Amino acid sequence: MIKLKDVQKYFYKGEEREVHALKNINLEIEKGEFSVLTGASGCGKTTLLNAIGVLDQISSGSIELEGKEIAHLNSDEKTKIRLNDMGFVFQAYNLVPVLNVRDNIAFIMRLQGYSEDRIKTRVLEIAQLLEIDNKLDSLPSLLSGGQQQRVAVARAVASKPKIILADEPTANLDSKNSQSLMDMMKELNEKEGVTILFASHDEYVVKSVNRIIKLDDGALV
Amino acid sequence: MFKILINLALKNAFLRASRAILLVIMIGASMGVMVSIEGLYEGMTSNMIDKTIRSDSGDISMFAKEYRLKNDIKYSIKNATDIAKTLDTLESVEAIVTRVKVSGLAQSATKAYPSDLIGVNFEDEQKFGKFSDFIKEGNLSLGKYGCVVGVELAKNLKLKLNSKVVFTSQDANNQIQSKLFRVKAIIHTTNINLDTRAILTNKNRVSLYLGIPETTATQIAIRSKKDNLQEILKKKYKNFDVLSFKDLNPQLTQMKTMTDIFNSITFSIVMFVVFIGVLGVMYVSILDRIREFGIMLALGYEYKYIRLQVMFEALFLGLGGFILGSIIGYLLLLYLNIYGLNLSDFADGMQSFGMSSILYAQIKLSYFTTSLYAILLASILSVFIPLRKIKKLNPVDVIKADA
Ligand SMILES: Nc1ncnc2c1ncn2[C@@H]1O[C@H](COP(=O)(O)OP(=O)(O)O)[C@@H](O)[C@H]1O
Ligand SMILES: [Mg+2]
Repeated sequence: MIKLKDVQKYFYKGEEREVHALKNINLEIEKGEFSVLTGASGCGKTTLLNAIGVLDQISSGSIELEGKEIAHLNSDEKTKIRLNDMGFVFQAYNLVPVLNVRDNIAFIMRLQGYSEDRIKTRVLEIAQLLEIDNKLDSLPSLLSGGQQQRVAVARAVASKPKIILADEPTANLDSKNSQSLMDMMKELNEKEGVTILFASHDEYVVKSVNRIIKLDDGALV
Repeated sequence: MFKILINLALKNAFLRASRAILLVIMIGASMGVMVSIEGLYEGMTSNMIDKTIRSDSGDISMFAKEYRLKNDIKYSIKNATDIAKTLDTLESVEAIVTRVKVSGLAQSATKAYPSDLIGVNFEDEQKFGKFSDFIKEGNLSLGKYGCVVGVELAKNLKLKLNSKVVFTSQDANNQIQSKLFRVKAIIHTTNINLDTRAILTNKNRVSLYLGIPETTATQIAIRSKKDNLQEILKKKYKNFDVLSFKDLNPQLTQMKTMTDIFNSITFSIVMFVVFIGVLGVMYVSILDRIREFGIMLALGYEYKYIRLQVMFEALFLGLGGFILGSIIGYLLLLYLNIYGLNLSDFADGMQSFGMSSILYAQIKLSYFTTSLYAILLASILSVFIPLRKIKKLNPVDVIKADA
């Protein structure tokens, strides 16, 4: 479903020093996969995830989503791809603070123009699965970290994107919350067939996934 | 889409309540005060215009050609009474008066001042401009020798009720004539010409004094709301000067222009206050939420929607200010409309400029609609500078910032 060909990424710090963050990455992610990009801190996990999520520009190579090149679109087109095809879960939960849980989960669907009826059913369905259905009317600031991260996952999954990209989703969670988040995401993957790609070196993540993609200093190993 | 955008804007605009309230109060207070000043100023101008129309010029005045230039009763309207009667039958003519006026010298026991003896019909004047409203002291039972004197002239000549005053001028045959009057009433019209110069008495007495027929007049003044009446009369009475209120009182027309200028200045000041206020608040608010906007961009919320959302936030703040400003402004105006602003401390100076000592405000819807446009425009314009912060934003940096 996603195909990376010879992806290179350089960061330029000032004029002289450059960081070769992604080195000739060739990678394919299949539909329904539940996999993790892992490796030591600074090896390029986030950079690769951001490249796939068309959040960041790559220096060369190509990324295809269902056969369509997406790495070199203009920024408006990329925004649309992110909205319609990608779901994001970040390390910090990044909910919209003025919206309650229900509206946060519905956020992407509303942007996509779903009918309110469909939104209502879907929000409830996903909230039950992630066990936050009793928090729907709360503001994010009143929730625990584990709950907020589940809301973020719900928001990402609700609109049924082609792939969910989750960058260190468990990094701010304790072991209990990490384990239950992974269990729920696994359930989502199995029940809804949603493709999920993590970037993490957390053991809870690594031991839960079906495929482990190892990165070392910007290259696949 | 639009719903979520408005929802976000509304919640964010008033999220930081103290900031929002402060801004709303700032906009509201400045708008309220500006609107009141505008109303006072316009009230003053239209009051002066109204009184001048009522006490002197009417909406249209007719004179014999040359009269106004030479100021000589030789140039008078001979059959004025007939003309007035004819005109009075016109549907569009609400009221009409004829007057005869001659310039001369007024003398009291101790002083002498240039003045005008004006012959009028007080009943007609009452219908024409509610003359009785101008009376400050005394009443109109003039008897044989009674007269009415302008308030400033009375002051200058040190005249009181029942004081004697002698008026001297040339009559129709160029003979010097004098006539003794007793002051029976003192009027205050705020019309500077009348207040500083006028001695009014019954028209037939003035005719007699001047040796002219009672049907003769130097001025025919007409009250009418009809716009093109002046044109019609001009065509009909080619040998007269047919002049509108505006022709006769260019200084008041100028004041009207001044009011307009003043209003544009008001408009600009309110706009500036709103602009700076909203700019400041929105700038801080956007800086506070840079991360939030970055996340939203990352999730696929397009920049154009952020721009729209931020505009709505500013609009809501401005609108809040407008609502408060309308309440403050309306209450102030209502007070000033009923009780007026008493300027009697400065009134001596002001009266001689033809102003009343108590200013009453006018209330016009346009004060509020203009403010609304100004506020909405300024609110929207004010977000463009803060928005540049978001436009430069790269979501990746924002997401990274917490890692
Ligand atoms: N914006 C940036 N500017 C310069 N260097 C960067 C930037 N982002 C990441 N890097 C560098 O790229 C490399 C990979 O970083 P990252 O993808 O964040 O690693 P990981 O997520 O695996 O910890 C690191 O050496 C990092 O210093
Ligand atoms: Mg990382």
